[in-house]
Amino acid sequence: MSDATDAPTRRIVVGYTANDSGADALALATRLARASEALLDVVMVLPSEAHNSIVPTDTGYERYLKEQSREWLAEASESLDDDDLDVAQLLHIRYAESFAEGLIAAAHEFGAALIVVGAARGGLLGRSRIGSVANELLHSSDVPVALAPVGSRDVHVAQGVTRVTAAIGTRPGADALLDASVRFAVAAHAPLRLVSLVSIDLPAGIDEGLAALTSTVHADEVLLAARRELPGYLDATATVATGATVEEAVQGLDWHDGEVVLVGSSRLATPRHLFLGSTAAKMLRELPVPMIVVPRTTTP
Amino acid sequence: MTHQPEPHAPLTEATVAVDGSEHGITKKGLSAGSVGLIGAIVIGISCIAPAYTLTAALGPTVSEVGVQVPAIILVGFIPMLLVAFGYRELNRRMPDSGTSFTWATRAFGPWIGWLAGWGLVAATILVLSNLAGIAVDFLFLLISQVTGNPELADLATNPFINVAVCLLFVLGATWVSYRDMQTTQKLQYWLVGFQVVVLVLFAVAALVEVANGNAFDATAIELSWFNPFAVESFSAFAAGLSLSIFIFWGWDVTLTMNEETKGSEKTPGRAATITVVTIVVLYLLIAVALIAYAGVGTGEFGLGNPDIQDNVFFHLAGPILGPLAVLVSLAVLTSSASSLQSTFVSPARTLLAMGHYGALPEKFAKVSPRFFTPGYATIVSAVVASVFYAVMRFLSEDVLWDTITALGMMICFYYGITAFACVWFFRRIWWRSVRNFFFTLLFPLVGGVILGVLFFTTLIDSMNPDYGSGSNIFGVGLVFVLGMVVLLSGVAIMLWQAWKRPAFFRGETLSRAAAED
Repeated sequence: MSDATDAPTRRIVVGYTANDSGADALALATRLARASEALLDVVMVLPSEAHNSIVPTDTGYERYLKEQSREWLAEASESLDDDDLDVAQLLHIRYAESFAEGLIAAAHEFGAALIVVGAARGGLLGRSRIGSVANELLHSSDVPVALAPVGSRDVHVAQGVTRVTAAIGTRPGADALLDASVRFAVAAHAPLRLVSLVSIDLPAGIDEGLAALTSTVHADEVLLAARRELPGYLDATATVATGATVEEAVQGLDWHDGEVVLVGSSRLATPRHLFLGSTAAKMLRELPVPMIVVPRTTTP
Repeated sequence: MTHQPEPHAPLTEATVAVDGSEHGITKKGLSAGSVGLIGAIVIGISCIAPAYTLTAALGPTVSEVGVQVPAIILVGFIPMLLVAFGYRELNRRMPDSGTSFTWATRAFGPWIGWLAGWGLVAATILVLSNLAGIAVDFLFLLISQVTGNPELADLATNPFINVAVCLLFVLGATWVSYRDMQTTQKLQYWLVGFQVVVLVLFAVAALVEVANGNAFDATAIELSWFNPFAVESFSAFAAGLSLSIFIFWGWDVTLTMNEETKGSEKTPGRAATITVVTIVVLYLLIAVALIAYAGVGTGEFGLGNPDIQDNVFFHLAGPILGPLAVLVSLAVLTSSASSLQSTFVSPARTLLAMGHYGALPEKFAKVSPRFFTPGYATIVSAVVASVFYAVMRFLSEDVLWDTITALGMMICFYYGITAFACVWFFRRIWWRSVRNFFFTLLFPLVGGVILGVLFFTTLIDSMNPDYGSGSNIFGVGLVFVLGMVVLLSGVAIMLWQAWKRPAFFRGETLSRAAAED
């Protein structure tokens, strides 16, 4: 666990597209970068030639696209400057067979700690439904991925990160998540909240009170263990959220406007790669705030 | 685009260093796993779409030149090749998504440039509607073959059902093109391989039937089939040629694609050569086999029968292949589908360039931020192609046939202008080297003259009401009417745009120029 001050500059890669989803991603990334004094790498990924299996490559059109992308990047960059924000940024154009692939390659190239993308389009009521890009990224990234929910572009950058919430499960993967959450909270100078979600979704006939009690007790133990590992200087709290379903449990919690949630990837993921588990997917649907998915490490 | 000054976007130094800002794309920017030799050949064959092309063009060509189809196929390649050389020179010097439009504007100014762009867009929109029309026929044929109910194939002749299904096809193709959804290379290899194998099987089966004495109208193969001078009249020769230009259309892309790919100096040339040899052999084989099997008479399955001419495979696959005919339907369907997608790209990109340079409303220059395709231009192309097809289907029973002939004419028109643009643009450097002499003067000039002659001959001949399928409007051949409507509406829209957007027509956005070195 290293402190942000003695580590090399944190870098954040944001996958930019010149639409609302891209604007959401850029706004969130800028906010995160500003809060954690990170360097922002704004990346546009264009389809590479290898993508073409039917349509012949046309040099003229490729150039047109590149120029158009430059313009888009320049506009995006100007919009950042307008706010007079103190965020260092670099603009890049990359070629890859897919957006996700290009972003992961860029993250490796820059040694970035985080990839930010717009979560989705068409999610109901402003909540996130995962789009195809985010989905592909979540299935293949070995770098933490932040999903900017629809409307992130309306959150003011100066809002910063007011609190970091780590949704701690009871299963393997929590260590990596805890690590990442602490690092991020320290970098962003934000308090950390550990949350354990407990859903009591049992068939009728079982003593609900008892079940709730045992689950809650178990969750409390997990949180307690997690808290013991936290560095002392960190302002941390722990909460158990209960509800009949994961959705209800999430709704029962209070959320800051400037909050960011970290979740670990599913146990189904190959080690060091992401995969959104069912709990995390349910959370994503309910969360009014951005979510960062952290890949689990190889350690059992 | 190349001639616009690079917008000096405030890119950071690191980015400039990484991405390069000199000429748009740097080699570094392209992924290593780019389209290789086989990939280029596959794309080339899939753009030409031999299964679709032959079924659409064989009948009309037979009706013009009779048994001399093989000769016409061989000769038709010559102007195509000559113009393609000019195309390649221009593409090297000023690569631009507007291709013919941009080049002709640079060489001859905005008015001719605009019309060249119009010719390209019109030709590709004509072929889009034709492609979709052929696909509809084969879809119903396929369904009837699979279900064993021959009546289903006749549903394709009901204009309402036909137009409705056709519009659905175009809608699907638009969706796919807009989102730039391409199959994987592997799948595309299989599809193209399948197409070639089925065509060879089809031809061989026809020859076997001939050998077994089961042919519909066995015609002895003669050397004179390959002699272009055996064609009865110059008119027929010209009409046949302009059709055979259509069958090679799309081949030029292999000559210019991936020229910028690292270490690929030889790839485009090789890919183009292998593609064209494959295509020519395939065409000759099928043409010879089908003529030997069915003859050029007007009997039920004769290639001279106007009822089967606009889609010969549709009618001949069953008698020749029996139960295996379903393979031909599949091959033509997949061939049309891939070709629909690659064909969609070219009017869209030209319209995009026209919008970019202010020759059309700016909306046309819009690129989809998510799919990086010319979104608006793609949708406009689709709408125009659909309307065109719907109107034509109700106007004429032989719509497919007449659009193919009109198409050949439009291709001659804009390819001809492109060839002359090449000659004129390079006028100051013709004599710099032997290579320049051949590739920037002689080849494109000869090619351009041939296409010019073809264009005017076809135009004049097509006034005859008996021309092509014999459809006519007020005693004037439908092909002529089609050609004129397309060209004159182009002129009308050009004048309207010149009034609305004078900057382009004053040469302010894209100026005339000539190569100096």
